[in-house]
Amino acid sequence: MRKNDALLSQIDWPLFIAFISLLIFGMATVYSVAFNEEHPNIFAFSEKYGKQMLWLGVSLFLGLLIFLIDVDIYRKFAVPIYIFTLLLLVIVLFMPPINGARAWIGIGSMGIQPAEFAKISTALLLSKYISGLMIKHQTINTVLTGVGILMAPAILVALQPDAGTLVVFSSFLFVMYREGMTFDPIILKLVNRIPGINLKSTWVGNHFIPLLFIVVVLAVLTLIIGEVEFSIGFLPGIIIKGGTGIIITLAFLSLLAFLYIRRFGTKRDRASLTFIIVFGFVFMTALSSSVSFVFSKLARHQKDRIEMVLGLKEDPNGKDYNRNRAMAAVGSGGAFGKGYKEASVSSVESNHVPESETDFIFCPFAEEWGFFGSVFLVFIYLFMLMRIVFIAERQRSAFNRIYAYCVAMILFYHFAINIGMNIGFVPVIGIPLPFFSYGGSSIMSFCIMMFLLLKLDSQRKDVLR
Amino acid sequence: MNLENRKYVIIAFILLVGFIYTSRLFYMQVVDDTWVLRAQEIAEKRKEIIPPRGVMFDRKGRKIVSNKTYYNLMMTEEKITHLDTAAFAKLIGWTPIMVRERFKEIVKGEGVYYNKSSGKHTSNYQKMRAYPFLKELTLDEITKILVHIANFPGFKEEVTSMRTYPYANGANILGYLNEANREDIESKEINADHFYRPGSNIGRSGIERFYEKELRGRKGIRYVVTSAMNNAIESYANGKYDTVAKQAIPLKLGMDIVMQAYGEKLMKGKKGCIVAIEPSTGEIVTMVSSPSYDPNLLVGRRNISLNYPKLARDKDIPLFPRPLQAEYPPGSIFKLVQSLIGMQEGVVTENSGFACIKSMVGCHNHPNASSIAEAVQYSCNPYFYQLVRKVIQQKVKKNLYADAEFGLNKWHRYMSSFGLGRELDVDITGQNGGLIPDSKYYDKWYGHHQWAFSTIRSISIGQGEIKLTPLQMANIAVIIANKGWYYSPHFVKSIGKKGPKANFRKKHKTLVESKYFDAVIEGMRRVVNESGGTAKSARLEDIIICGKTGTVQNPQGKDHSVFIAFAPRDNPKIAIAVFVENAGAGGAVAAPIASLMIEKYLKGKVTKDKESKLNEVDKPIIIH
Repeated sequence: MRKNDALLSQIDWPLFIAFISLLIFGMATVYSVAFNEEHPNIFAFSEKYGKQMLWLGVSLFLGLLIFLIDVDIYRKFAVPIYIFTLLLLVIVLFMPPINGARAWIGIGSMGIQPAEFAKISTALLLSKYISGLMIKHQTINTVLTGVGILMAPAILVALQPDAGTLVVFSSFLFVMYREGMTFDPIILKLVNRIPGINLKSTWVGNHFIPLLFIVVVLAVLTLIIGEVEFSIGFLPGIIIKGGTGIIITLAFLSLLAFLYIRRFGTKRDRASLTFIIVFGFVFMTALSSSVSFVFSKLARHQKDRIEMVLGLKEDPNGKDYNRNRAMAAVGSGGAFGKGYKEASVSSVESNHVPESETDFIFCPFAEEWGFFGSVFLVFIYLFMLMRIVFIAERQRSAFNRIYAYCVAMILFYHFAINIGMNIGFVPVIGIPLPFFSYGGSSIMSFCIMMFLLLKLDSQRKDVLR
Repeated sequence: MNLENRKYVIIAFILLVGFIYTSRLFYMQVVDDTWVLRAQEIAEKRKEIIPPRGVMFDRKGRKIVSNKTYYNLMMTEEKITHLDTAAFAKLIGWTPIMVRERFKEIVKGEGVYYNKSSGKHTSNYQKMRAYPFLKELTLDEITKILVHIANFPGFKEEVTSMRTYPYANGANILGYLNEANREDIESKEINADHFYRPGSNIGRSGIERFYEKELRGRKGIRYVVTSAMNNAIESYANGKYDTVAKQAIPLKLGMDIVMQAYGEKLMKGKKGCIVAIEPSTGEIVTMVSSPSYDPNLLVGRRNISLNYPKLARDKDIPLFPRPLQAEYPPGSIFKLVQSLIGMQEGVVTENSGFACIKSMVGCHNHPNASSIAEAVQYSCNPYFYQLVRKVIQQKVKKNLYADAEFGLNKWHRYMSSFGLGRELDVDITGQNGGLIPDSKYYDKWYGHHQWAFSTIRSISIGQGEIKLTPLQMANIAVIIANKGWYYSPHFVKSIGKKGPKANFRKKHKTLVESKYFDAVIEGMRRVVNESGGTAKSARLEDIIICGKTGTVQNPQGKDHSVFIAFAPRDNPKIAIAVFVENAGAGGAVAAPIASLMIEKYLKGKVTKDKESKLNEVDKPIIIH
């Protein structure tokens, strides 16, 4: 077995080290945040850290198995795996609800969440499907099939209900974008109905997904921070509203893009790109302003509804928002943090930040390690994401590349939403921080996802598909 | 189209989010400190530990004010599950309706604070906080409840301490505590250091009030990290910023509790006062205000709400501290001061004599006084009429009225140096200064230069406008015993071992030289010890008491009986004033009481038959 002998030299060490260090930091944070003096042993299985150790052990064992199994099997069995997880997602809907959601299969605390694993199977099937397409010749059918592959589990997840995972499924749209699956056939069909117009392609259609993403993010961000007042520390006395801040940021980014085009753009592109920037800026400013205008005109109860959905208002009885507490925990970390195990707001014991070992685990980490610690963590994630993109681009096999992009985008979504939630930029939708949050299903599914990627990458030279 | 370039879009998104999040983290964690404050607000609590209040000892080292442990039954609404109101009400001996009312009361009333931004009183009631449901339970009461407390989650006990008075005496002096009210808490003056919070105790009257700062001690502050359920988890920063609660050092009072109790016994059934002061120090040994009450009646909220209205409504006004606030005309004891002023002014000498001319002012039958001593002994009214006329009308000014004005103001200055007509510097609040009229006072009544001695002659025998508090009367005895000086009378002999407050170590000299005092003292000796004296009933076999009686005319009823004295004559140990309302002549009631007090103080015991004789005198005196 030549392949396995060379495994150690074939594995992508930078990614592997980033992956393992996240697991270690995560484990350390779970130990700190859930620490119970009565059972200080990290292997105390009655405590959350003991269980997490167990999950980690199981995950590493699964990783070993993955490395022993031939990679072809995932491509070949992508459809059965996908159908199996769909079945699980259906079964889970008939399980007794836990915390208001039917998300667990299993007995007691040893349950699993099929939704976590559905991401992997969807990634595999999508990779298989797109890699088999003639990408230049897309029809409405091919687009809709691609969308259907991710919509089926997404709808089932939404029925649980699990808004967080539902949102994560939209990350596959970026993968489709990268692979050239556009919504152009649909848009062209609409546009070309207008008499006198017969386009072959549209810019909006080709870049529909990132544009949609920007529009949604901008609208949500406007709702969340539009009315928040920021004071700028080094410019005392100046208080700006979040809405104004968004427009200033947009202007700044447009200026940067403009300068970039002036410097690097070809003469041919320059005019159209400049037009896109100017139009984009005007459009987004208008969008942001109109969102906040419409919101301000809404009736009180409608506002409440939206604020509840966004997590701005959770307890109508006036208790502090979880988000506010999470932000207090993060913000109170200061530059250097309070020190390991010294988190006073976000420890499980104090219970000021609910779910501080799962969805809000960034809080205790940021509180303990401060700005430098949390930025270090952000950089590890960024490094990991960039590395996966790099790995994806070096694959010879389209299947491998698409799968790698799926992993990158899933991780990116989790990273962006989870940390955004902790710093008040994103609605509170419960999704875990990859490799960090406590929870068997999430740790196992992320580890399997990552080991699959490492395995595929380690054999990139052997396959040519 | 080159699809590979689309990776830059994805990379741009990733890096943009990374950049935004890093900036946001920098802003939240490094620049903006509101989150630090918010976190402190959420998680770090100051827990205040209130030390037991400082205790008080009497001059013989007996503990007279102490603390006793009580228990509050605390409730935390959030932890209450399925409360069986009927069973709970039965346990604490209430009706279910009372329990429900108390809940409402707590929710509405507890934790009300003044919101500066809105300018309103806002309730800060929080379900997770513990509030006292029942306050000030005794060990017996709480034990009965605690046996079954496990059936009522959300309730637990809390230890507190309250005053206790081993001797049921001196209530008007010691004062009482009650809960700081909103005005106290919001007062910048009283609560400058934010010591008081709703539920804190504060000295409301007497020594408890005057020595509030000395008695309350130092609060201990523990900074703890608290959980969302408001339970302390651990001390913050290993207790680096914590301070230990410290009980105040004890106060040592000049009061002798046995004397106080004896005085209260003697005054039982009478209205009036006894004030006894140690002349050499100014320490108040006894201050009886009769009728009084048991200080234990006003301990704790329950007792206060039960007993205070009763005491306040009582027509004998037991809450009224007579020795400090009641102002009486002094009557004949005033003649002592008049004699001294006369001699100092040089209008008389100790051997001056005046005929007892009853047409000037009424008098009883006695030989003409041919000296100050005799005048004091006989308490001759016409003598002092003539003496004071010489003081007031010194014929310095040609105009009679201007002369009277000049003389009265001079006289007023003397009086003021005796601590009369103004508040004494006593360590207790709520004191009256009495009244010694000056020219402005009479100008207001009669008009400028519209009055002369004849107009105001009744001041010469301590009647008319003159008003003294019993404390001032006792202080006159102190001054005479000391031959011309006094320390401000005070209750607290020593704060811990530091001695009294600085202002009680300062000698106040009167404007009368000490050489003039001997004649007055001789007169006072004769009052008690010679035939023809008005207070022979006060005479003791082996101790020379010097005293002066007074019978204060009372237009509303029977005369008041007053007597001031000091003893022994040489090196006096005690100066005393006894004032009994509506008791008739000074020699009949006040003098024997003073005599018993002196005997008890100097010898530790009294002759029994004298005490019983006093009780005989008592009988006809019915107060109402």
